[in-house]
Amino acid sequence: RMFLHLDLYYYIFILMAHMKTCCSWSVNNFLMTGPKAYLIYSSSVAAGAQSGIEECKYQFAWDRWNCPERALQLSTHSGLRSANRETAFVHAISSAGVMYTLTRNCSLGDFDNCGCDDTRNGQLGGQGWLWGGCSDNVGFGEAISKQFVDALETGQDARAAMNLHNNEAGRKAVKGTMKRTCKCHGVSGSCTTQTCWLQLPEFREVGNYLKEKYHKGLKVDLLKGAGNSAASRGAIAETFSSISKKELVHLEDSPDYCLENRTLGLPGTEGRECLRKGKGLSKWEKRSCKRLCGQCGLAVEEREAETVSSCNCKFHWCCAVRCEQCRKTVTKYFCVKRERRGRNESAGRRKGARPGKKH
Amino acid sequence: MAGAIIENMSTKKLVIVGVTLLIFQVLSFLVGGLIAPSPTSAVHYLATKCVDNRKHHQRTKWFMPWGPNQCDKIRDFDEAMGKMIEANDIVFAVHVPLPNKEMSPWFQFMLLILQFDIAFRLVNQIETGAVVTIDVGLAYRDDTLSEWTEMAHSTEQRRLSCNFSTPKTPENEGRHYECDLLPFMEVGSVAHKYYLINIRLPVNERKKINVGIGEIKDIRLVGIHQNGGFTKVWFAMKTFLTPSILIIMIWYWRRITLMTRPPVLLENFALGISMTFINIPVEWFSVGFNWTWMLLFGDIRQGVFYAMLLSFWIIFCGEHLMDQTERNRFSVYWKQVVPIVFGSFCLFIFDMCERGVQLKNPFYSIWASDVGTELGEPKMAFIIVAGICACLYFLFLCFMVFQVFRNISGKQSSLPAMSKARRLHYEGLIFRFKFLMLVTLACAAMTVIFFIISQVNEGHWHWGDYTVQVNSAFFTGIYGMWNLYVFTIMFLYAPSHKRYGDEQSNGDLGVNSGEDIQLTTTITHVDGPTEIYKMAGKEAQE
Repeated sequence: RMFLHLDLYYYIFILMAHMKTCCSWSVNNFLMTGPKAYLIYSSSVAAGAQSGIEECKYQFAWDRWNCPERALQLSTHSGLRSANRETAFVHAISSAGVMYTLTRNCSLGDFDNCGCDDTRNGQLGGQGWLWGGCSDNVGFGEAISKQFVDALETGQDARAAMNLHNNEAGRKAVKGTMKRTCKCHGVSGSCTTQTCWLQLPEFREVGNYLKEKYHKGLKVDLLKGAGNSAASRGAIAETFSSISKKELVHLEDSPDYCLENRTLGLPGTEGRECLRKGKGLSKWEKRSCKRLCGQCGLAVEEREAETVSSCNCKFHWCCAVRCEQCRKTVTKYFCVKRERRGRNESAGRRKGARPGKKH
Repeated sequence: MAGAIIENMSTKKLVIVGVTLLIFQVLSFLVGGLIAPSPTSAVHYLATKCVDNRKHHQRTKWFMPWGPNQCDKIRDFDEAMGKMIEANDIVFAVHVPLPNKEMSPWFQFMLLILQFDIAFRLVNQIETGAVVTIDVGLAYRDDTLSEWTEMAHSTEQRRLSCNFSTPKTPENEGRHYECDLLPFMEVGSVAHKYYLINIRLPVNERKKINVGIGEIKDIRLVGIHQNGGFTKVWFAMKTFLTPSILIIMIWYWRRITLMTRPPVLLENFALGISMTFINIPVEWFSVGFNWTWMLLFGDIRQGVFYAMLLSFWIIFCGEHLMDQTERNRFSVYWKQVVPIVFGSFCLFIFDMCERGVQLKNPFYSIWASDVGTELGEPKMAFIIVAGICACLYFLFLCFMVFQVFRNISGKQSSLPAMSKARRLHYEGLIFRFKFLMLVTLACAAMTVIFFIISQVNEGHWHWGDYTVQVNSAFFTGIYGMWNLYVFTIMFLYAPSHKRYGDEQSNGDLGVNSGEDIQLTTTITHVDGPTEIYKMAGKEAQE
C-alpha cells in the first residue's frame, strides 16, 4: 500500500512514546493500565492516524502544500518541528482520525470496555450498563485518542502546547460534526417517547470542517523569548486557555511552498497536477492551476493522456461488477518550469499576490 | 341535595390537602429527575462483514462478529473484490449487546434501527424507489458457551429513501448518501442475555432483487432499550401508587353507598378503576417471565385510561350543564362517547397491526410495509379515522364547555332571585365545575409544557454535581400528576357528610342577597368559594 511506511512509522512512534511515558509519569488515571491494554488499541490508533493523513491529502490535493507524507514524521520528530498552519492541521486531522476510528471500532465490538466507563452513569458500581446504559462510544474514542495522541507531546514549551491544543481541536471537530438523530417509539409509534443519539458523520465532513478551521487559524506569537521558565510556561498556558478549543492555532508563518526546500523537506509545486476545466469543479479547484503554477512562477503544461476505465458496468451492492473497458483521452495539466525569460517577472508578481497572514 | 366534599371543606383543610398534593407532585418529579437514569439508551452497532465460505448456505449456521468462534471477517468490500467473494456470501453480523455486557429483562423492550451507509458512485447510483430486500435471522443464547437458538427468521423489504446533498460530480464519489432511518426490529421482552443478528442482502438479477441499491459500505444498527434503572424506578412508582388509588376508590364507593340516592353515573369511580388498571404493576411479571405481549398490553392499558379520561370530561361537563334535563344516564352521551370509543378502537386495531404482528415476526413494521401500498394504506386509514375522532371529540368538548359557561353566566344573574336551596345547588354546581376546569386545564397545560421541554432539550441538565434527567422527570412527574388528579377528584367530589337544610326560613333574604352576589362574582378565586360555603353552611346551621 502507498502509505504503509508512514503507517508503520507512526505506529512505532506512538508505541515508543508510550514506553517512555508510561514509566516517567502515570497514565494510569484513565481507563486501563499496563502496556498490554495499549496494544489492543494501537492498531486502531495507527489506522486512525492514517485515515487522518489520507483525508489531509484529499483536502489539500489542490493546494500548494499537499500534505506530503513527511509532514507527520517531521511533526513527531523532536528536532525539526515546525509550528505553522499546516502543522496545526496535520495534528488536528490525525487526532480526529484516531478518535473517529476508535469510536467506529468500538461499535464493531472490537474492544471489551468501550462506552461503559462507569464514571458518568456508575451510580451502582459495576452495574452501570444495567442501570443507566453506557455513555456514547464517542466519549470512549475521545478518551483513548487523548491518551495516545497527546502522549506524543512530551515537551512543555509553546510548540507542545500548540500541538496539544490542535489535537484537542481535532477531537472537538469530530464532536462538532456529529449529527443528532431521534427515533419516536411511543404508543403506535407516537413521539410520547423518543430516543435521541449522536451519530458519527462521514470522516469527509470532519475534514471539511477542519479545512475551514485551517483557513481561520489563529496565529499566536509566543516563540520570542520562550524559555522554559515557569513564568513563560504560565504565559503559554494562559494564552492557550484564552483561545477557543475549537480553533486551530499556529505559531509561525508558513514557508513558501512554491519552492523546493530540502532543509524543511518541502518538495515544491513543480511537477504537480492541477485542475482547470471541468463540470462541477469548485472555485478553489478551478483556480488550482493559477495557484500552483502561475503564482509560483511555473508554467502550465497540457498533457494528453489515454486512460482505460471501466464503463457500462452492472453493479451489485458489493463486490461483483461486470464492466466493459473504455478508452478515453483526457487532458491533464501539470506545473512545469517556465522559459528563462519570463521567470523574474512572474516571481515579482507572485510576491504581490501572496495573501496576507493574520497576526 | 348533599354537596361534595370540596364545597364543605374549610379553607384550612383545603390548603393542607393542596400542599400535600403539591409535595407529592414535586416528589414524583424529583424521583424521575434525580434518582432515575434517562428512560432509554441508544447503543450503536456497526455490522461486521462475515464471509460465508460454504458451498451451500444452510440456514443453521450463525456468524459471530467477535469473541471465540468468530467468523471470517473482511474489513471492506475492496478486500472482497480481490478474494472473489460475491454479495451473496456476505453476512452482516451484529451481536447485541457489545462485548462484556449482557441484556436483562429489566430492559423491557428492545428495538433496532437500521441504517445503510451507501457510497455515491456516478455509474452506480441508487435508483428512485429502490427497495432493499433483507434476509434476516435473530438468535439468542443465555450463556457464552452454548449454541445459538433461532428466535425469528424473515425476509423483509425496506424502501430506501436517500438523498445526496453534495453535487453529483466525480470528485464526490465515495461520499455517503444521507438515508432515512429504517425500522428494523422490535421485541417486547428482553428475556435472554445475548442476541445475534445475521443479515444478508441476497442479489437476484433476474427477479430484480437488491439491484440498483447503490454501493453499500456498511450497515449500522442502533439498539434502543429502556434503562434498567428507569424500569425499577417506574415499577416502584406504580407499586406505590396502586394502593393509594385503590384505597381512595373503596372509600369513594363507601361514601356513595352510604347515600340514599343512586350514584351519579359512577363517573369518578370509572376513572378510578381505569387508573388502577393502568397502575397495577403487572410488569413485574415481565422480569420473571418471557411475555412478549407485555408491550402491547401496556399500550392497551394506556388506551383504556385515555378513553376513560376523555369520556369523564364529557360526562362531567354534561352533568354541570344545568339545563334541567335528566342526564344521569349513559345513553344521553352516546354522541360524544361514540367518537372516543371508535377512535380508540381504530388506534387499537392499528396497534394490533404493528405490535400484534410483531409478536410473531419482530422484523415486521407497518411503516416499512407500504412497499406494495396494498397493505400500508388501510392501516394508515385507522390513524386518520382516529385523528378525525379526536378532532370531533374536542369540538364536542369545547362546545359543551362553552354551553356550560353560557349557562353559568345566565344562572349567575338570576341567582339572587332564587330560593336559598336552589341557589346553593347552583352555586355548588358552578363552583365544582370551575374548580375541575381549572385543575384539568392546569394538568393538561403541565403535560403539554413538559412534553415540549422533553422534546426540545438534550435530555439531561447539569446542575453543579447533579445531573437532572429531564425526560425521566417528565415521565414520572406526569404519571404522578395524573394519579394525583384522579386521587384529588375522587376525594374532593365524593359526597359529603354535611347536609344543607332545605326547609330553613330566609327572612332576611333581601339583606343578604347583595352580599352573596358580590361573593359569587369572586367565585373563580381559589379561596372565594370556600368562604361562601362556609358562610352558607353557618347560616344553614343557624
